[in-house]
Amino acid sequence: MIPTEELICARRLTKSFPGVLALSDVSLDLMKGELHCVVGENGAGKSTLIKIISGAFPPDRGEIVVRGHHYDSLTPAIARRLGIATIYQENVLVPQLSAAENIFLGREKRNRFKLFAPRETLRRAEEIVDAYGLRIPVGALVEELQPSEQQFVKILAALQSTPAILIMDEPTAVLDIERIRGLLALIAKVKKEGLGIIYISHHMEETLDIADRITVLKDGEVVQCHDCRTEAITVDLLTKEMIGRPLNKFFVKEKSPIGETAMTVTDLLLRKGQKPLSFTLRAGEILGIAGMGGSGRSRIVRGIFGAEPRAGGSVLVRGRKIPANSPSTAIRNGIGLLTEDRKKSGLCLNRSIRENVSLVGIRRFGRFFMNLRKESTLVKALADRLAVKTPSLAQEVRFLSGGNQQKVVLAKWLFKDVDILLFDEPTIGIDVNTKTEIYRLMSELVARGKSIIMVSSEMPELISLCDRVLVIKKGELSAVLTGDQITEENILINSIGGPR
Amino acid sequence: MTADFRVSRLFRSQPFIILLVIVVLAVAISLFNPVFLSVANLSIVLQQSSVTGIATMCMVLLMISGGLDFSIGSIISLSCVVMAKLIELKYGVGLTIVVGLGVATLCGLLNGFIVAKSRCPPIIITLGMLYIYYGIALNIAQGRFLNLMGKFEALGAARFLSIPYPVLQWLAVAICLFVLLKFTVFGRRLFSLGGNEEAAFLSGIKTGSYKIIAYTINGFISGIAALVLVSRLGSVISNVGADYALRALSAAVIGGVSFEGGRGSVGGAILGVVLLGIVYNAMNILGITSYAQNIVLGIIVVAAVVFSNIGKLRK
Repeated sequence: MIPTEELICARRLTKSFPGVLALSDVSLDLMKGELHCVVGENGAGKSTLIKIISGAFPPDRGEIVVRGHHYDSLTPAIARRLGIATIYQENVLVPQLSAAENIFLGREKRNRFKLFAPRETLRRAEEIVDAYGLRIPVGALVEELQPSEQQFVKILAALQSTPAILIMDEPTAVLDIERIRGLLALIAKVKKEGLGIIYISHHMEETLDIADRITVLKDGEVVQCHDCRTEAITVDLLTKEMIGRPLNKFFVKEKSPIGETAMTVTDLLLRKGQKPLSFTLRAGEILGIAGMGGSGRSRIVRGIFGAEPRAGGSVLVRGRKIPANSPSTAIRNGIGLLTEDRKKSGLCLNRSIRENVSLVGIRRFGRFFMNLRKESTLVKALADRLAVKTPSLAQEVRFLSGGNQQKVVLAKWLFKDVDILLFDEPTIGIDVNTKTEIYRLMSELVARGKSIIMVSSEMPELISLCDRVLVIKKGELSAVLTGDQITEENILINSIGGPR
Repeated sequence: MTADFRVSRLFRSQPFIILLVIVVLAVAISLFNPVFLSVANLSIVLQQSSVTGIATMCMVLLMISGGLDFSIGSIISLSCVVMAKLIELKYGVGLTIVVGLGVATLCGLLNGFIVAKSRCPPIIITLGMLYIYYGIALNIAQGRFLNLMGKFEALGAARFLSIPYPVLQWLAVAICLFVLLKFTVFGRRLFSLGGNEEAAFLSGIKTGSYKIIAYTINGFISGIAALVLVSRLGSVISNVGADYALRALSAAVIGGVSFEGGRGSVGGAILGVVLLGIVYNAMNILGITSYAQNIVLGIIVVAAVVFSNIGKLRK
């Protein structure tokens, strides 16, 4: 049965920002009990669309019809009153409060004296968690929870306002495969309760699993709105529509020769009581680190670089020890770290592209005084090579899309010309085109004799790019895969342990 | 396209708008009282603003690097009191100046060391240091006015190209700081430190050392402010510099220096100082009482901060 009650209808929305037309004549409607996916590259206008619908900012033109009422624009308060709840990618939870307290934030359970009722809060939270078949320690502080558990808490908290429309922006971006399944199951349950869901994702497979309809956006315009209940939709089809050109899901990397040992990691211990980790990295090699989220993959590269303390072990590069807690020494020995969270630890958001790119390699154009003209020329060349899209290199980085921001971080390390690149989720939250560009760049780098360690949750990129993959389970090495052994199944089995 | 981008950014920047406000204000006041726009009066405005102006340069340097120093008023006081005490003890002017600058620089170094090593919020640390330095100054002065015996009068009256010494000194500090921030590796790294400390650390910048150096320079500049102050006064008392930290902070904020770090300019801060100076001067010319003057100053600070935040509110 196809539900027919229309919850919301956005008509011919247009929105421009300085230099970009973010949305042009975009319409989107949502029925009761329906899950409507919006897919598209970064910069296709997905975020702009949901921000208009959730009232974060007004459209230039167009209107929003919510259950028969017409609005030129919404505010977050009006949107909330109309039953529109939005779950953004950014964390909106209060880390210092418990999961239960976060679930009822703004709707606190009170006793008869109108005071906060902690036990009632816990009990109700447990009921809700059980009702959805989840396992979350509701009494634990949010800051102690796994990212996936935090994601569940966000959703449960949003549901407490009994919304009619739930908007989710990349809810699975930080999750691994297993958790994604759990999340999709939760979403399916929520949908059955009659909510309409607008769902934004970069992951095509999961979109196909759960969507009733899929709207494809490209450069701020609707390419197509598919009905999955009546059409046969494939990942290929969606990808083609999104980017306007066919794209192999598995990037084809050119083979490049593997050379001498570039780095030796011996008995690296990141947490006391764990098995120490030893491995070597060779010139021209891409070494993947796979594993479930929270398995301690990031800690390995951060530990090598000195961004995180080590409990023991040594890292040797060209016979020189890389000490713990000193990124500056690591950089001096030719190591660079591209962190998982570019906004938090990769970029100075309110500084220009130029300054961000030249941050590490600043000595290239001056010891004490800077040669600004030389800087301009060097950065310009690099930005052109990486095709960073911007009206000017003086543009503040915070105005760029995720993909372009990532290119700036990459450019920062290329500008310094380091030999060993540690990439922590290099393509997280990035559109397909930019992903391919980054893969091509990585192949180029190893072809020139650089070495790369890549922590990744994306199976296709691990499989298509890596010469070797270390699989990490609970902070310890569970398998080393090479060549044909690098398959989705092998990675998965060794990450979660035991056959599926 | 690039040129358009730059121009539009310039017109929307806070310093540009402050400049407009200054021009409009100057024209308006001169309609009431033509004396205002006379060279003599404007020269007085600049001279009176020079100590605040130099103190503001301290604030710009620190705020850009994500720091702050509430104790510069006490550092200025302490430096002044130490210099006056040395003069009383019949030491030479040269030695007195060196010691005065040295004391202020040491205070800055100490602030920087504690802020960098403890990783505590500078607002709290420097608040504590404010009391410590003020207490030391009180102990030296013992609550008395210390007579400078006219030793610095020559310096205060000195002129170059008919620009008075205090203004020259301010200009010199401003130019040095401008060059430091705009054209040196050190300055660039201060901006990134203020913009995102974690990113700066992971980019190989020794954030602790940079903070210590920034606070030390800040102490040295406070010493220069103290030197200008004694050159304008006959005697000093232990709270002689007390007002300057907040005035400097106000001027910097008015001039568009961001409280969150990583954003701000020397030019903007100078305009902030000039605006404050003009407003004070105008209020005196127009006969507004000093009681009411504080209210006006407060309104300007609040208006500037709210205005600079309007862009964010719209988002």
